[in-house]
Amino acid sequence: MTAKDNKGRTYRKVRSYYPIGVDLDGYMRYGAWQIKELVDLTLQPRTVQKERMIFEFDKSVESADVTVNVYYYISGKKGSIIYTKKRHLVFE
Amino acid sequence: MKILKWMLPFLVIFLSVTVSMAEEADTIDDLLRMYDETTCRDCHPDQYNQWQESFHARAVVSSLKGMNNFFAIGVPKEWERKITKVEVLKCLDCHAPVVNYASEKLAVEIAGMIINAWTNKDEKAKKELSRLNVGCLACHNIKATAPARGLLGEPERGTIYTPNMVISPAHKTEPVNTMNKSLFCAQCHGRYVSSDGEQIMCNTLSGSYYNAYVSQGGSETCQDCHMKKNNRGHLFPGGHDLEIVKEGIGFTAEIRGVRHTVGKWIPRAIVNVDLENRAGHRIPDG
Repeated sequence: MTAKDNKGRTYRKVRSYYPIGVDLDGYMRYGAWQIKELVDLTLQPRTVQKERMIFEFDKSVESADVTVNVYYYISGKKGSIIYTKKRHLVFE
Repeated sequence: MKILKWMLPFLVIFLSVTVSMAEEADTIDDLLRMYDETTCRDCHPDQYNQWQESFHARAVVSSLKGMNNFFAIGVPKEWERKITKVEVLKCLDCHAPVVNYASEKLAVEIAGMIINAWTNKDEKAKKELSRLNVGCLACHNIKATAPARGLLGEPERGTIYTPNMVISPAHKTEPVNTMNKSLFCAQCHGRYVSSDGEQIMCNTLSGSYYNAYVSQGGSETCQDCHMKKNNRGHLFPGGHDLEIVKEGIGFTAEIRGVRHTVGKWIPRAIVNVDLENRAGHRIPDG
């Protein structure tokens, strides 16, 4: 997700969910034959993953455009946006 | 000599039985002749056309990188072993089950073709490999009885196993109750145990399906979502299809702007996001 304030500054926060290529002992496991047990950071079935993120702007900022994009990556190189939500915020 | 004369017919019978039981192909042409799917296409064009668009139809050529790494690095360099049919089947028992009926020589040749197709970008090798896949007979024969081998026995050549009760006059049909269960898909989309006991977890869908979905009251099968819903049939859409990906992930976001902290009034954006995994397995997985 990104926030761009009226001064032109961009802020970015990312959350990722995937089985990382590292096993429970901390060894890299990328080859299909090497994968036995990986640290699991995926979204688990029948659960809701709740995230709360706070962007803090400079005191003089009057407005910001905030965008939340959900990307799905079928591989490390190929990702697609599956959901987007945007909002223009005005700080009075 | 007399004894040999009497024994000769028995020897011939014994040898012929041995040969027919161990029938193996030495070329991809022979292999695909043994498990010919052209008649499937002719009588079931809708299912065949759906399947042709599926990743099952390109299960070898879409996974060349991973298999090349196994055959070029994993087996010879990391394990310091020779490429044999046993090693080849660690990939191809799932990516092209018909290779179970390849000779030792052909299986090793196929591994070489995979290395060549990926490393040297050999289009001829890739074209030849594109003939190997998870075809009609992979599910409807070769793998059909495996989840209940004790009860159902080995698959019989020429028999079409089906989860339906419709008996076709065109071929021997055997309804089996294995094919509409998740366990059927889990043979490959789960922890795989090869013939020498090596456990391969290159995708582990079934783990989260059983341990985090069914155990929490989930009751849909792989086939319910990936085949029956929206008439997906033999297209088996998965992670490559954004429609089914979106179906599996619920999303809500609230974005709020505030100034807070008394005396400073710092502008902040508070973003609350909920991501719901509505699938029967973890996301992402393979």
